[in-house]
Amino acid sequence: MMKRNGLRALGLATCVVVLISAIGFAVELYDVVANESVPEISKAAGINLVSDYLATHTAEELADLAINGATPGIRLAADRALFEANGGLVPYVALDQDTLYAMAAAGDQDAADAWVFNARASYKRPELAEAAIADSKVVTIEVSLGRLLGGLYGPGSPLGMKAKEELLRLVVNGESLGLRVAAATALTTYWISESAFTIPQVERAIRANSGINPELALAHQDVLAYLYGLE
Amino acid sequence: MRKILLLVGLVLALGVTVFGQGYDEMPADALVYPIGVAGTAYENVELGVRGGTLYVPNIEDPRGWNNHTAHETSTTWFTYRMHKGLMALDHITGAIVVDLAKSYEISEDGLVITFHMREGLKWSDGEPLTADDVVFSYVDVVLNEDVDCNSRDSQILPDGTFPVCEKIDDYTVQYTLSTIYRPVLNAIGVNLMPKHKLAQYVHKLNPDVPAGTFNETWTLDMPLEELVGCGPYIVTDYQPNVSVTMERNPYYYAYDPAGTQLPYYDKVVNQIVANQDVSMLKFRNGEVDVYGMRPEDIAILLPEGPAKGFTTMITDKARTGTTWIMPNQDIGLPDDTNAEKRALYRNVEFREAIAHLLDKDTMVQNVLNGLGTAQWTSESIPSPFYAGRDEYGGPITDNNAVVFEYDPALAQSKLDAIGVVDADGDGWRDLPSGEPFSIELNTNDNTLRVAYCLIMQDDFRAAGLNANFQVVDFNTLVGKLFGQTGDFIMLGLTGGDEPNSGKNVYTSCGSLHAYRYSACEEPDEIDQRIDELYDLGANTFDLGAAFDYYVEAQQLLSAQLGYIYLCQPTYLYVYYDYVGNAGLASPTSSPHGDNGLLTELCFDRRLL
Repeated sequence: MMKRNGLRALGLATCVVVLISAIGFAVELYDVVANESVPEISKAAGINLVSDYLATHTAEELADLAINGATPGIRLAADRALFEANGGLVPYVALDQDTLYAMAAAGDQDAADAWVFNARASYKRPELAEAAIADSKVVTIEVSLGRLLGGLYGPGSPLGMKAKEELLRLVVNGESLGLRVAAATALTTYWISESAFTIPQVERAIRANSGINPELALAHQDVLAYLYGLE
Repeated sequence: MRKILLLVGLVLALGVTVFGQGYDEMPADALVYPIGVAGTAYENVELGVRGGTLYVPNIEDPRGWNNHTAHETSTTWFTYRMHKGLMALDHITGAIVVDLAKSYEISEDGLVITFHMREGLKWSDGEPLTADDVVFSYVDVVLNEDVDCNSRDSQILPDGTFPVCEKIDDYTVQYTLSTIYRPVLNAIGVNLMPKHKLAQYVHKLNPDVPAGTFNETWTLDMPLEELVGCGPYIVTDYQPNVSVTMERNPYYYAYDPAGTQLPYYDKVVNQIVANQDVSMLKFRNGEVDVYGMRPEDIAILLPEGPAKGFTTMITDKARTGTTWIMPNQDIGLPDDTNAEKRALYRNVEFREAIAHLLDKDTMVQNVLNGLGTAQWTSESIPSPFYAGRDEYGGPITDNNAVVFEYDPALAQSKLDAIGVVDADGDGWRDLPSGEPFSIELNTNDNTLRVAYCLIMQDDFRAAGLNANFQVVDFNTLVGKLFGQTGDFIMLGLTGGDEPNSGKNVYTSCGSLHAYRYSACEEPDEIDQRIDELYDLGANTFDLGAAFDYYVEAQQLLSAQLGYIYLCQPTYLYVYYDYVGNAGLASPTSSPHGDNGLLTELCFDRRLL
């Protein structure tokens, strides 16, 4: 009986420690998202607070924070929480392409994502996506096309996979935003699948590139968000 | 004492119905999958743990729960998980294996098949599962003209009769055939339905109910607690347009080698979605655990996988079916024209030259975006009879492949050798007589096929063949195919695991022997041998021998190049890494249209 009680106590203590450490890390993320001056680091923390925001804020609060939040991370967390609360991309993809295009042209990145999602069968080959990026006149659509192209440039792609060295050149020197976003997307995939960096390494890389090489910083931001999520 | 016994009985009954506990211990005749056992096809399957819920997407609502009147995969997805038969296609290899039968034997004359059932098994409601259920399912349901049953046609023997099914004892049934016919071995192992629940709805067994009553049983509006099955799961909840929930059958008879009763997942929830795009979005959101990916999804899903913890499975496993180009060897025969062209097309050296002009690598890269594989034979690659295997159901090695590599120079030298040269200096090769020669290449308005044809047209032209590609509507194309009026036709055929279902394509008098219908009246030695091999393959129950016959047939067909095969898209799948054994999903594990997921072997790794 003593032994069983002892095990129970140990189990309980473990749960408490795990809970405390989980709460502790969430507190740290809230600290980062509220106080970090580098936007990409703030956003990486914000991405990991979306579920928390969804559970603890009303739609009205989220809508307000998405616009008026004090930092990029808070605004991102609220915006993504609101997006999820409203059904994610599903209601968007049900809209017709002309409507989505108009919304995207007005700056709605989700509408652009939905527009590209609905048209993705037309961009199964890298050169088709590259041509669409070159022709794109709407920034949000160019970014979405860049993310799609990043899937074709990244590891495991049956067509168009690029080496990291080439992607590192492209993410800085790519002639268009779409191509740089594509390279960033592919690099993120490489780095996450290879477990290439630690949190301090990525934070350092972001600080070095933020405002200088924005798409390279973006690539690191997504890796950092992933690493924060593992903690 | 009597009261105590009654109380015990009541508690046991409640235990079964309320708590769903099944066998006290593993039945002696349980089916044990050799999971993780070295040297078996299940070597790479992982032992799992019970518990959890698997979420899968489904495009349409089911139309009922009646296994034998179901006509659509939206229904059979569920009925095939609620019901099993004496025989099954193996999850991994696609080979035919025993299932509810523990063994079977075939008489020396090949006309009597005796099945020995696993003993001591029960239906999901605890009633015994016996030979009576087999006879009921086969004789009173499947062969009953009063029942609108889809699988009756597949029971017909070559002489038009049906196997005669009889109960020998509680666990033995016998099927007597009028003629030896191997393909019926799978067909007669129909999914079993419970006699004790359903006999009352069969007019021939209960004249009080009108004819056709069985067709109206187990409909969507029935109380689901009335459903009884013998498969891994039973439907327990249905919310139209929303979801179908299946829960484990407490009396399922399959176990893993560690003695854990399958299935591993407690529940499978099918989320009904509007279309595949919504399925994909729900997968990205983590609302469903698996998804049958399409080529256009890859660019979006590939980069998300590592961060979200899912695996994008881009396999080299081909889907079933064939795609081919066919020079019409009977061109001009109906109206007695084109004699020289016909003779040329009947010359296998000409067809070899054509085969060497087929750039399948470019087709895979440019048309299938790298998601395809070259085909060389008539049998679908996932079939256990595919000649690229070394034995029935064995791994694919392609040791037996008859391959014509893309080699334009060799093609041109072959054309030169048979006199198809540019006689008049106009830049195009002519017929051996010097008459002008051109090829009309047709397919229907199908994006992939058109793309294949454009590549072929370019290569034919580069080799000096004046090929002109034209898209025609499907009915016109089929008219050309069946009416012997086409020239070069590019099309495809669906395929399966049983070569005998391709008999109408490859034997000389087959209704789809479109590359040379005249072979029916004028079969050459090779035609005759292929006909013989198809008969031999169907007329033996020795699967190894049947495999050898079909390999020889495939090699002859491939060498003869009647249909010249192109490429086939590969199988794609994506799953969250916490779903154990989801990576085994493959076209060969999809015998019942269940998109390849081995549901009963999947498990939740998070519970380990």
